[in-house]
Amino acid sequence: MPEIHVESLVKQFGQNRALDDVSFTVTEGELFTLLGPSGCGKSTTLMSVAGFQSPEQGRIAVGGEVFFDASSRVNVAAERRNLGIVFQSYAVWPHMTVFDNLAFPLKVRKEKRAAVRARVHEVLELVEMRHLADRYPHQLSGGQQQRVALARALVYSPSVLLLDEPFSNLDAKLRERARAWVKELQSRLGLTTVFVTHDQDEALSMSDRVAVMSLGEVQQIGTPEEIYRRPSNRFVAEFVGRVNLLSGQVAAWERGRVALELDGGRKLWVDAEQAPPPSSRLTLAVRPEALKVEPADTSTLNGSNTLDAHVKSFAFLGDRYQYELDASGLALTAQVSRAVVGEHVKVHIPADACAIVE
Amino acid sequence: MTTTTYDAPLPRRRGRSLPTAGLLQWGTWVVVVGLILGPFVPLLYASIRDRPLYEGGGLFTLDAYRDLFSDAKFWRAALHTLEYAGMTTALSVVAGGAVAILVARTDLPGRKLYGRLTLLPLLLPSLGIVLGWIVVWGPGGYLSSFFETHLHLPTLDVNTIPGMSVIEATRLLPVAYMTCEAALARADSSLEDAARSAGATPLRVLRSVTIPMLRPALLNSGTLIFTLCIASLGIPLLLGTPRNIQFVSTYLYLQWTNAATPDSPLVSAGAMLLLAVATLLLLLRNRMLGAEARYVSVAGKAGRTAMLRLRGWKWPLGLAVALYIVFSTLVPVLGVALMSFVAFLTPLIAPWHLFTWANWDILGTGVYLRSIEHSALLALVGGVVTTAVVALATLVAHRSKLPVRKSLPFVMLYPRAIPGLIIGIGFFWAFLLTGGVGGWLRGGIWGILLAFCIRNLPFAYVVMYPTMARIGEELDRASRSVGAGWWRTCRSIVLPLLRPALFASFVLMFVEILNDYDPALFLVRPGTEVIGTTMLDTFLQGFVGPVASLAMVQVGVTVIVLALGTFVFKVRVTGGHDA
Repeated sequence: MPEIHVESLVKQFGQNRALDDVSFTVTEGELFTLLGPSGCGKSTTLMSVAGFQSPEQGRIAVGGEVFFDASSRVNVAAERRNLGIVFQSYAVWPHMTVFDNLAFPLKVRKEKRAAVRARVHEVLELVEMRHLADRYPHQLSGGQQQRVALARALVYSPSVLLLDEPFSNLDAKLRERARAWVKELQSRLGLTTVFVTHDQDEALSMSDRVAVMSLGEVQQIGTPEEIYRRPSNRFVAEFVGRVNLLSGQVAAWERGRVALELDGGRKLWVDAEQAPPPSSRLTLAVRPEALKVEPADTSTLNGSNTLDAHVKSFAFLGDRYQYELDASGLALTAQVSRAVVGEHVKVHIPADACAIVE
Repeated sequence: MTTTTYDAPLPRRRGRSLPTAGLLQWGTWVVVVGLILGPFVPLLYASIRDRPLYEGGGLFTLDAYRDLFSDAKFWRAALHTLEYAGMTTALSVVAGGAVAILVARTDLPGRKLYGRLTLLPLLLPSLGIVLGWIVVWGPGGYLSSFFETHLHLPTLDVNTIPGMSVIEATRLLPVAYMTCEAALARADSSLEDAARSAGATPLRVLRSVTIPMLRPALLNSGTLIFTLCIASLGIPLLLGTPRNIQFVSTYLYLQWTNAATPDSPLVSAGAMLLLAVATLLLLLRNRMLGAEARYVSVAGKAGRTAMLRLRGWKWPLGLAVALYIVFSTLVPVLGVALMSFVAFLTPLIAPWHLFTWANWDILGTGVYLRSIEHSALLALVGGVVTTAVVALATLVAHRSKLPVRKSLPFVMLYPRAIPGLIIGIGFFWAFLLTGGVGGWLRGGIWGILLAFCIRNLPFAYVVMYPTMARIGEELDRASRSVGAGWWRTCRSIVLPLLRPALFASFVLMFVEILNDYDPALFLVRPGTEVIGTTMLDTFLQGFVGPVASLAMVQVGVTVIVLALGTFVFKVRVTGGHDA
């Protein structure tokens, strides 16, 4: 399975920059996700790799082969790139049976009939659809259609697999099962895969690495943990999960820690590898579940980074509780596994749970 | 299944697809654009020469236009055309809109059936229907004399401009009806529900919400109907000429055919003028309309309750619509049918005393048989060829990356706005100027076929486009991604999915070409007649009987083909006419 190199893609739609210097590398066997809200350029990027969009600048190579290079005017036609794609709508051809859908790519490659039969059945077996080979797409459920789409994208052993929001048309229950199944298949076959989604849960749970995109730019590339715990900017922090944003002025720096003076005069110690410019303003991102909330009379939470707060509202979310807190004007959202009694609480912000995003 | 099988990659696809696809796409574009716009070049050329193109020599001059504008007869004809087009447009738009509202938004009994029957005049042969009007309502006609002698009631004089407008309006009303019905079907009826829940009475909703919502559809269909009226030749020729009422179309036709030496630059100049007006109207219409809205398919929400309860008006209005359908469609067809079995038609003598097979027997001979054979052949070949070419052109227009593809939809809709007469004159000059091939086309029926195909291809496009638009683009992309080239994708994915529309297009083209006549008037010569031209010729010579039986042949074949199309191939044929 080859690597995918995407370098400095630029694409303009009228006045809009759909892609602005998009670069990334997908390593062999990796499941790489492009995550972002609609219109962020993730699908344009994927379709550029597939050959259905032509950027104005940049270079795309898969394995040793250059598919696209604006500077030397290379643009390999989509049908000659040998990629497997699962489309958002599945695009299972409605006038062909499941078998014929899978056989088509092989017929295009002028395979012998017997070989086509054997290969199609083999791949149908792989996606557990062998018994439905003679069905037409309209006789299949959404989940089954998706399997056909995936099987069709695998049947000709493409060099890489591209998934364009493949789960968005499934209902919530089915979606979770499908995710696990696709992930398992992908890692078993060792398929180099690019996956596009706007769903952060999907991105975090399935990916080896994630590229978060916004307004045509890559905001951050990292493992799901890095993206979630160490968002590199405000957009990433807010887009991937719920977050508290705290702003303040740098008051001191010592041995990997910054003292931040929050609006209102309270001080917060935060881990920081590099010294920020003195007196600069910083914004911190803290996940709600990283906050510790205890009753006001507790003695376990004392000292630095602990604030007194007032409970404005709380909600039961099934597996946890969510508190909306007001710490003398500072609004915080906290998620804890046990309910805390009382209107007044103490809230602790761990120094290692804060990411500097601005 | 293990990873090992997977690791043995299959060969990449072989062969080259791109250059052939490009060639095919460019070829299609050149052929379609060339054939549609090509004939207008020699037409323009002919209009600015001082003598007919078939005479050698000559100079460039604007004399033809000067002659045209200084001819009082031309101005009178232009005035008549305006009067005629204006009256027809008003009538058919108002009535068509009303029928659409009745069918789509009320509990009128039998409204579904009415909806279908209202469309019939579009598909029935227009020359035959005009003949039906003449034999039934014309001077000394079956019903007009009956009304006069027995009921002492005056009837509408069909040989006046208002009379002709009424007949033309019944022919074109379906255009307004279809556009309005489609607009109502896709309009969100919750807008009307909202007005009702806000306290408006149904009539108030009709006045304040429904009719304003229809305004774009009314304007759009009105412009199209106006354009079609200007282009109309059949009714003006058959009904206006006897009273010497000339219209622009008949003026040009008679200048060409009746004059001892036809002033061909003058006729060409007049044709150019008509072409310019029709083009302007088409551009105007495109401007008024969002390019997309025009193609939205007719698909209503099922099971919607009727908004407006007609109560006491239910049966009177139902009867009115029924009477309209009976008198506009059924009676003329019956009149023609009766006419074809009698020596002459008069209310004074019972028809069985005048019964004869002569009108049908004569169809087996000479020019009549030849015309029927030609028309059937042209309809069959034309239906297949036009469907194939338009399918290819539609694929290029909407499913390719050809740089010039966006010009195709406009070009393919263009002939709809152009008088058939002008297409005929254009091809006449084009054949004359293109040497051997042109001469061959001019000498046989294939030149006529070409003109018919070009004239009617907008219908094929309008039938195909909505279906193609519904075929998701990801289906093509999926095919490309698995290694199929453009043409392979079209062949294996898009065209099979387009099959119902291809059938519909064939049926529609067959019927249209079978019944068409005016583009052929300038191209026909002894030995290459088609049904329409023979009917017109025979009628102008004063023999009505054979015209009636020819019309019945058209009606019969049209009905059979439409029925086959509807019930065997399950196609909705009428969809094309609101282009």
